[in-house]
Amino acid sequence: MQQTQGLDFEYKFGFAMPERPVYQTKKGISSRVVAEISHIKNEPAWMRQFRLKSFEIFVKKSMPTWGGDLSRINFNNIIYFAKATNKQENSWEKLPKEIKETYDRIGVPEAERKFLAGVSAQYDSEVVYESVRLELKKQGIIFCDMDTAVREYPSLVRQYFSTLIPPHDNKFAALNSAVWSGGSFVYVPKGVKVTLPLQAYFRINAQNFGQFERTLIIAEEGSYVHYVEGCTAPIYTTDSLHSAVVEIFVKKGARVRYTTVQNWSKNVYNLVTKRARADEEAVMEWVDCNLGSQLTMKYPSVYLYGKGARGEVLSIAFAGEGQHQDAGAKMLHFASHTSSRIISKSISKDGGRTSYRGLVQVAPGASASSVFVSCDALILDEKSRSDTYPFMRIKESDVSVQHEATVEKLGEEKLFYLTSRGIAKQDAEGLLVNGFIEPVTKEIPLEYSIELNRLINLEMSGSVG
Amino acid sequence: MYFIDVSKEKKEKYVVEKQGKYVFFLHNISGKIYIEIQKPNTEVYIFGLFIGRNNDVFKLETVQHHRAGNSFSNLLIKGVFFDRSKFIYEGLIRIEKKAQKSHAYQKNQNLVMSKDCFVDSRPFLEILANDVFCTHGSTTGGLNEEQLYFLQSRGLEKAQAAELLVRGFVDDLLGKMRDLKVNQLPEVSYLLHLRGGRL
Repeated sequence: MQQTQGLDFEYKFGFAMPERPVYQTKKGISSRVVAEISHIKNEPAWMRQFRLKSFEIFVKKSMPTWGGDLSRINFNNIIYFAKATNKQENSWEKLPKEIKETYDRIGVPEAERKFLAGVSAQYDSEVVYESVRLELKKQGIIFCDMDTAVREYPSLVRQYFSTLIPPHDNKFAALNSAVWSGGSFVYVPKGVKVTLPLQAYFRINAQNFGQFERTLIIAEEGSYVHYVEGCTAPIYTTDSLHSAVVEIFVKKGARVRYTTVQNWSKNVYNLVTKRARADEEAVMEWVDCNLGSQLTMKYPSVYLYGKGARGEVLSIAFAGEGQHQDAGAKMLHFASHTSSRIISKSISKDGGRTSYRGLVQVAPGASASSVFVSCDALILDEKSRSDTYPFMRIKESDVSVQHEATVEKLGEEKLFYLTSRGIAKQDAEGLLVNGFIEPVTKEIPLEYSIELNRLINLEMSGSVG
Repeated sequence: MYFIDVSKEKKEKYVVEKQGKYVFFLHNISGKIYIEIQKPNTEVYIFGLFIGRNNDVFKLETVQHHRAGNSFSNLLIKGVFFDRSKFIYEGLIRIEKKAQKSHAYQKNQNLVMSKDCFVDSRPFLEILANDVFCTHGSTTGGLNEEQLYFLQSRGLEKAQAAELLVRGFVDDLLGKMRDLKVNQLPEVSYLLHLRGGRL
């Protein structure tokens, strides 16, 4: 009960899933805890070794000294593994009124609401899911959670796992490597185009919103897949740290799009490492929307290894009271005729802070390459802040690198015009903010962008209920 | 109008305390230039020109720090890099909370003439006020192939065409300074260290 009260106070759109874990490790992290996780999961020796080695690296690595304030993370106060119950006994009627209203206003479909609210731990449309899975299977596509993949496709997993983001990469990648749980594994065979976006929360079982997800996507030559994770509806979690690792391999001529809509409750540190490798003529697109969390540090990157490869990052960051969104992108050009584009839109409000942090690197030999970076920031009031930290390292002459950034407030004339047409000021503000992020929202699946628009309106109009 | 040739004064910190127009000029120098704007109704222009030859290495850091509102600053750094020269630039615009209605601009354009050059450009913004206009831009690349082709199609040698484009690139900056009534500017050929009149 106490928790629900604290929740109302801190995060009015959130909700608590009553925690009734069947099994969980003790608070804190040690090599014993890591070994225990591996033991519970009944993993092969190589994975256990990998976890233990990663743990050693995690201990040795120092915390990043840049970006947001990480000083309040206490690694000893976190439960690193919890096995959830199969059935939740919460009922829709018992949910707090304001949460139901939030869902109504965002327009989350009934089935999803129940799932999100923990009313049904299993997706109500399990039957639909099954038929989708059969359809995928017929095409040779593998789509399952990472734990299953380690069990059932060990040789495939071993070939790619952690080769793009080794545990040495950074402290949080090392932590994830040691204690990872859940996440998705996607394998698309040569030439197969997946017409339906694969959605993380379309999978059954409760591991969907894990704390330390590990996702691996392999798109073979000439294939296409669109993967969607997260959802616009707020996710309340008592976990204070979310640290995922996502590795994507885009083979020759393949195309992968990875869409994230993140709306963690405002007590979460969201520290994620995402990286993709694009081979010859491959296309990798990250669409990244960050709305929630206390602090997000996330820089999806594309390593353009093959001639003619293309990388793209479209991102939206929204920081309200007490939030810091330190997000951006990295594009590393290693081959000729590669191109990249980064479009970043950020909004800060009520004392929130948004930072764009990005890297563009053109290696010698990456001739005839082009880079375009555009960062626009809106600051909605005088308490808020916006930063831009782009890094450009160019070691090649036959390139075109462009970067531009603007910071401004909502146009007073536009607001005046809209209000003179009888639109309430708050609605007009919502309209302008939604217009500002439109170049990105039009790229995400329709149901998400509609929800996102409504959510922005909700944030702009202050409170709900 | 106050004209400050930073390359000669070699000071690190400049405080703008009086109303008026200030023009700063830097040419081929490394180091940090910190400009603090403490008064409203001030206009600050910063022009920097860097020509890298052989093993030249320039490390430049600029700060446009707006501590007072209704102030204006505009920075333009242009660089042309030959041979194995290196340019490492970090520019920061910082606008404090109380410096509302500030306008701050920052632009860095680099022309890379050789495969062995290295350009590192970091144009940073830290904006703590909301009622401001702030933009920055950075471009790095080689000479425009189409422009080169156009000039060659008009009968110029490739080297001549390249020289014309580089001169134009540099003269654009000088022209902006002339517009602000800065006289006694060096010649483009001198600035470019032309070898026997050629690039």
